Amino acid sequence: MENLIANFNYVIVVILMMIGLWAMLAQKNLIKKCIGMAIFQTGIILFFISIGAKNEAKVPILSKFVAENPPAIIVNDYANPLTQILMLTAIVVGVAILGVGLALAQKIYQQYSTFDEDEILENQRK
Amino acid sequence: MPSLPIWEFDVLLLVLVVLFALISLSIRNLMGAAIVFGAYSFMMCLIWAGMGAVDVAFTEAAVGAGVSTVFIVSTIYNTSATMQNKPGGLTFKLFIGLVVTLTGAFLLSALPDFPEWGDSESPANAVVAPYYIKNTITDAHVPNVVTSVLADYRGFDTLLETTVVFIACIAIYSILRTETAKSKTDEPEEEIAVLPSYDPSDSLIVRQASRFMIPFMQLFALYVIAHGHYSPGGGFQGGVILGASLILLAISFDLKFLLGHWSEKSLMLLVASGVFLYAAVGLACVFMGGNYLDYVVLDPILPGKGDMARSHGILLVEIGVGITVMFSMVAIHINLASNGRFDRGL
Repeated sequence: MENLIANFNYVIVVILMMIGLWAMLAQKNLIKKCIGMAIFQTGIILFFISIGAKNEAKVPILSKFVAENPPAIIVNDYANPLTQILMLTAIVVGVAILGVGLALAQKIYQQYSTFDEDEILENQRK
Repeated sequence: MPSLPIWEFDVLLLVLVVLFALISLSIRNLMGAAIVFGAYSFMMCLIWAGMGAVDVAFTEAAVGAGVSTVFIVSTIYNTSATMQNKPGGLTFKLFIGLVVTLTGAFLLSALPDFPEWGDSESPANAVVAPYYIKNTITDAHVPNVVTSVLADYRGFDTLLETTVVFIACIAIYSILRTETAKSKTDEPEEEIAVLPSYDPSDSLIVRQASRFMIPFMQLFALYVIAHGHYSPGGGFQGGVILGASLILLAISFDLKFLLGHWSEKSLMLLVASGVFLYAAVGLACVFMGGNYLDYVVLDPILPGKGDMARSHGILLVEIGVGITVMFSMVAIHINLASNGRFDRGL
């Protein structure tokens, strides 16, 4: 139990990933599946940001004073920039992927006039 | 009970995020689900800002809470927002429940092995990241470490991520775009002439408000791109805000109005030209005798004193990213909103 509270961020990450996975498997609606995929993805992003966070750390932008005296930089004053940039690009790629998913769903709707997985399968059997 | 390692407010936000995720998936109306998902993204962006990841939070506020909600809404606009209420079979539910619980259990079993939250000596924080923080000023003269890592130290990464956005844009074109005959595009104009003088979707207030807002949005976006070296922001955030300003134009006026200014061909050319600019800066470095994307050798052709070349190189690359992201967001929105017909839509 103590472990769960000490790692509260990671517990939430696991819960979000479970919700996303459940939505992608169990939801019959294609748009809901896309939302589930996005939730799964934000769970992973939260994981990376939690790894890069440091206690008592500031945002990774150097102040004017420090920028003029590079030896004065104390590394542990700033949050980890590496995990942040990996996730920054992942968010933008994520929205492009969400767009592809929605485009596929829209094309399927043009063909079968429904977002429901079961009805699409029934129409295919006809 | 041991004291929490994180701020209590963060606990509240983390619980709210889980609640919003569940609500968004359980709402039966898809429009409602899209809006709650926007709220979920916004909560997430507050959490990230609280952990010191301001650039990521900025991107999520523009992309997750803004543009992706618009994408879902414009898909629903062309299809339907209602959901059939058909419960699945019991075995199906049990199977899914088993799979999800097992995955969760495996992930949770790895929990004790994680470094403690906020540990500055954890492997992720102690190995390579300190180099970036220590050397960003002497190497690149960029105080925002995220920007210098994004476009300089890990420039290849960003180049390929930008290419992925470009490819996703092409994929959406090839999935949705359909040819429309010339005679068909003339028909809607006649229909519009017959419409009653008052159309609730065509609000004067919305038009005038967006007419006022759009120039400021675009000015702010240009500031975000140009000032990304010194403050949160950069090509991705600025590009998404610029794209959002054009999407707002399309929603508040008409898709035709937007397409009158930006033809389909020019949109696609601009999406490609952003990636091209990025790759060309890298190639220019090779021609000047350095490695790919090693901006130091560009010094003779860039303004400023010797050691500013990397800073200027980052700006050029960020502009390329901004152009690609802006126009791919617009192109994706037009495709989704007009069902690939490029005539009218949301």
